[in-house]
Amino acid sequence: MAHVPKSMAASAPAIALPMARAEKKVDDRELVRLSQSGLESAFEELVKRHQHRIFALVSGILRRPDDVEDVAQQVFLKAYTGIRRFDQRAAFSTWLYKIAVNECWDYLRKRKVRPLVYEADLSEEQVSRLDGIISADRPAEGANARTETRELLDRMLSSLPEQDRQLLVLKEIEGFSVQELAKILDLNANTVKVRLFRARGRIMDAYRRRLASANSANPGAAAQKKG
Amino acid sequence: METNLGLGTACDKYEALLEDYLQAELSGAEQQTVTDHLKRCDRCLSALEQAKVSVRLLQLGEPAADPGPGFSRNVMARIHAAQAEKTVERGSFWPRFILLGWRFAATATLALGILVTYDVGWARHAASSAVTARAGVSDIFAPDPAAAPASRDEVLMMVAESSHGQN
Repeated sequence: MAHVPKSMAASAPAIALPMARAEKKVDDRELVRLSQSGLESAFEELVKRHQHRIFALVSGILRRPDDVEDVAQQVFLKAYTGIRRFDQRAAFSTWLYKIAVNECWDYLRKRKVRPLVYEADLSEEQVSRLDGIISADRPAEGANARTETRELLDRMLSSLPEQDRQLLVLKEIEGFSVQELAKILDLNANTVKVRLFRARGRIMDAYRRRLASANSANPGAAAQKKG
Repeated sequence: METNLGLGTACDKYEALLEDYLQAELSGAEQQTVTDHLKRCDRCLSALEQAKVSVRLLQLGEPAADPGPGFSRNVMARIHAAQAEKTVERGSFWPRFILLGWRFAATATLALGILVTYDVGWARHAASSAVTARAGVSDIFAPDPAAAPASRDEVLMMVAESSHGQN
């Protein structure tokens, strides 16, 4: 169990963060400083500010919706216990993202699981439907169609090497920038760009292979589409 | 037309630039460099087209939703629970040592008792053995008072005689 700062013990009274401070006017550095001095409400404000990005990051790495909340909570618990040692040389968000990445890997290692992997490949019909959506360049309509499209995409992504899948999900689905990814993954920004571009090529290779096999299984539909 | 030895991939030198081109994050000069290269390199052009489709494909994915206000409350509750657990752990730290101390003291007392009992028993045994030895054995090994030399000169004489006898 990690060390819990004395001033943050359970018996310490929870001091309310003044309303003016709780607003965005107070930057993360100040909130970190206040958290380090034992102000719980300052840490809670940090949680509120970063919970969405941490959820996105954990979700992007694990792709196991059932476990995301638990791991995200664990990330903030680790951050709380270690905040006194955080020297603020890096941004709080960067420090938090690194905790999140480590926590995800710990989780996957302990559970001995790979991020969600689908056993069965896509059917020809599913590939054709996916291709129809991409070619039309408009999202699927209706909740069921959207759910199915997401599942098809997840299946495509699960066929990629782990690093490619994570990069693509974090960049294109969860909206992390190249610079953020470089900091999170301890890589050079140029390396992230190269890996991203190659990952794009790999997912398209996988997609084209499935599409080709779907078309060969159903040549009539393919010809009709071309026509 | 430039040649590219990769299998369906872009030129190594242009991969990072093509990613920036895709995201429209190039400066004017860089943009021109890439545009000129794309006119001459089919593979980079094809890789770029595929990358554009990948963007459309990945846009079908749904980002994680904001967990909502309940999340921060749950986090703080978990922190408090962890702290309470820690306090209990800290409270049960010393009693464990005290118990260990008592056990050690009991063991030491027992060992000391055994040692003292053994020592007393051995002392008694030794004393009775000494009495027996004095009673039975002393007569055999004690020197005859009549044969004992009376003075220093007699001792020297006895030594001289015995050495004579040996020669």
